[in-house]
Amino acid sequence: MLFWILAATMPIYAGALYMSYQATAQRLEDEAQRDADDLAARLAAGMDAVIRPIEGGIRTVASQLEEIDPPREQYPARIRGILAAWPDVYGSTIAVEATRDDAATGQPFAPYLFRHAGDIAYSDLASASYAYRELPWYRLAADSQRPVWSAPYFDAGGGEAWMVTYSVPFFRRYSAARRDVAGVVTADLDLDWVRKAAANVRLGSGGMGWLISPPAPRVFLTPIGATARHLETFDASLDAHAIREVGERMLTRGVTFRLLPQSVSTQPAYLAARTLETLDWRVMLVFPESDLLSAARELLRRQLWLGAIGFVILIGAISLVAAAISRPVRALATAVGTASENHLTFALPDLPRRDEVGVLTSALRRMRDSLREHIELRAASLAAQARLDHELQIATSIQQSMLPKAGSRALPMGVRVAAALLPAKQVGGDLYDYFAVDEQSLLFAIADVSDKGIPAALFMARLGGLLRVLATAGKSPDRILHELNAHLVKDNDACMFVTIGCGLLDVETGHIRYASAGHEPPALRTAEGIVSSLPVENGAAIGIDAAAEYTSTDTVIAPGDTLLLFTDGVTEAAANDGSQFGAERLAAVLRDALDGSPEALVRSVVDTIAAEAQVLDDLTVLALSVSPPAVTLHRNELAMHWLIEPEISAAGVAQAQRWLRSILASRAVAPSRIGDAELIAEELLTNIVRSFEAHGGSARMSLECELTAAQIVITVRDNGLPFDPLSLPAPNLEGNIDERAIGGLGVVIVRQLADSCHYSHVHGRNVMEVRLHRSPG
Amino acid sequence: MLLKIVAESSNPSSIALAGRLDSSTAPELEAVLDRVLKNARLPRLVFDLSKLEYLSSAGIRCFIRARKAIEPGGGKVAIVNPQPAVRKVLDIVKAIPAGGIFKDVAELDAYLDEMQRQVRERD
Repeated sequence: MLFWILAATMPIYAGALYMSYQATAQRLEDEAQRDADDLAARLAAGMDAVIRPIEGGIRTVASQLEEIDPPREQYPARIRGILAAWPDVYGSTIAVEATRDDAATGQPFAPYLFRHAGDIAYSDLASASYAYRELPWYRLAADSQRPVWSAPYFDAGGGEAWMVTYSVPFFRRYSAARRDVAGVVTADLDLDWVRKAAANVRLGSGGMGWLISPPAPRVFLTPIGATARHLETFDASLDAHAIREVGERMLTRGVTFRLLPQSVSTQPAYLAARTLETLDWRVMLVFPESDLLSAARELLRRQLWLGAIGFVILIGAISLVAAAISRPVRALATAVGTASENHLTFALPDLPRRDEVGVLTSALRRMRDSLREHIELRAASLAAQARLDHELQIATSIQQSMLPKAGSRALPMGVRVAAALLPAKQVGGDLYDYFAVDEQSLLFAIADVSDKGIPAALFMARLGGLLRVLATAGKSPDRILHELNAHLVKDNDACMFVTIGCGLLDVETGHIRYASAGHEPPALRTAEGIVSSLPVENGAAIGIDAAAEYTSTDTVIAPGDTLLLFTDGVTEAAANDGSQFGAERLAAVLRDALDGSPEALVRSVVDTIAAEAQVLDDLTVLALSVSPPAVTLHRNELAMHWLIEPEISAAGVAQAQRWLRSILASRAVAPSRIGDAELIAEELLTNIVRSFEAHGGSARMSLECELTAAQIVITVRDNGLPFDPLSLPAPNLEGNIDERAIGGLGVVIVRQLADSCHYSHVHGRNVMEVRLHRSPG
Repeated sequence: MLLKIVAESSNPSSIALAGRLDSSTAPELEAVLDRVLKNARLPRLVFDLSKLEYLSSAGIRCFIRARKAIEPGGGKVAIVNPQPAVRKVLDIVKAIPAGGIFKDVAELDAYLDEMQRQVRERD
């Protein structure tokens, strides 16, 4: 948390610091520049302040000379007065104009008093060959008739020093409009004094400067303050003349402060320039930029330090605040972390706080308590649920135990049954059952109670029990349904009903008697793979109508045919494409099955639905077929063959006849033709049996039945002595009864009924092939 | 019960057969015939086949045996009401002469009355 708070605040803090620095630095820089500029101005003004009184004094003397016009003898006294009044004046003279033809005034006269060796010395400038009236200090003032300052000059005639001279003309007035120059009063200023004054000025740590005279005739410049020293540290090559030129250009444009061009100074520096108001001199100051900005830099340093200190304080403050929040929150987290489903008694810190942490703590406490309560409730309901689940499991196993398991029922010989029941819930309302009612009859039933779940299961249990009690030997399925209905209609307060299909299979003939109470008709798959619906006369579902009537229908199945009963959980299973699984899809599954046995068909239906559809209801499939051990099936491209291998006896013959009958009956052969075929089979097989009885020995016989589109082909084989019955002479059928033979009639019957008979002896076996058309006539 | 045999020794003696008369059931009829044919002077033996569904040569042998036992003594074997499938077999082997097969009991009675009348007239 601390990290994120800092991450968020630091940029803001740094930004504020930076902006504050920027503003301050700019202001300081401006101030430094203004200060530099001001310094130049003050310096100029300081000079002016010294010089201006001297100017005033000299002008006063000049005007006194004009008004009073004292005699020349008094001039030295007045000059002496000037020197006494202004110690900075080195020397002074009152030089008269001596052009008029006047004895008193026409003579050149220029008494000059100057300081010399601590005293005032006197010299008359007119006495020497010093033609003062031609000299610039006199000429300029006299000609311009106004006070002027001379350019600096070296005074070789007395001062032996650099001087400037202030010259003020005085006039002799004739009228208000007319006047002549009467003379010039001067004051010499020793530039050595200027030099000393300039050297005493303080320019700050790195400042440099010069006091500079006008360039003509010779420029005079004197460094200000510690310029020489600063020059050495800053830039020794800095040229005061070049600076002067820059300054002059600035001043003509009215600019007093600017950055020095790089051509003048390689290091960045500012130049401040001023013109003296008295002398036509310049003050030019150069400040290195680093120097000027050192104050700003110092400020930045200070601000950075302050910022760093502030930052540390900020971190500390934030840490304290964050810790004040996070410590209790962490304590809460630790307390909550110890919680688990079985341990919800974790202690929460008792924080009487009014802040968010306090609110969170009490919210957690409420949550813990209600969670504990909820978990206790849930545990209780889970226990109840578990109890219920356990009971349901028991119910499931009880219900499953009501259903016959594969191999658990003693079935008559030669019948195969397979079944599957998948309840949609743990217990279901579907039922199937099958059991032998006598040695050759198998009762089978499938039922679907109107609901699902426990009510349906209870109703189903009642139904299953009743079925076992009511289905007794010799009772036809319609009768059984009728009785079931009579029992279940009574006291059916729950208004439940059940659809049921019930059949009785004669395992020795393949004959099925079937009745249905509102149940879907079973599917019949022949050994050839043809699928059809069993013709059924449906009655009302059981449990609704006491007066419901049921009718049985008869069917015959051949060995290899399979009858498949199912509940609507099969046909109404939701196929994955959203449609119903449907009777047609079921028919297709049965048709496409490679193996037509009940076990294979049940598995393939269940597997297909599991793969392609979602079971919404209880799903039950029951399949059965007859497969007598003496009968095997073969198939070639043209037709189906049934091979019957009976024992060699009259009973064996009868058995073979029964299977032949069931085969033909199941394949819609006309009853009269079935009788013919049966008769042929009996006659041929009986002859073989007789022959064996007469001759003995181990023997085998078989009857093969092949059904083509038009013909029934019956082939009888035996491994007895080679004998062609067709070779016997036809018996006398016309004569007197005394003369008639009792035997030999069978062959007559066979010949008469068959379309063709053919005998051969192949691989040591007698083979008699008889063909007859499927339809009589 | 594949074959049901009801034998009546009234006049005329009759045996009603129901079900199947084939090689496996013929011995039962043989046993009945053994008993019935002990009466050597039996004038008439009527087989009521209205409920016989199936007949094979083994059954026909019984009829022929009966004929052989009775007809030499002037007796007669009659068949009443054979079903088409049975009739067909009877016809194929000509087990019973055409005059010995009757549509029903009434036709047989009429025939017998006629025979009796002829006998009386002769007498």
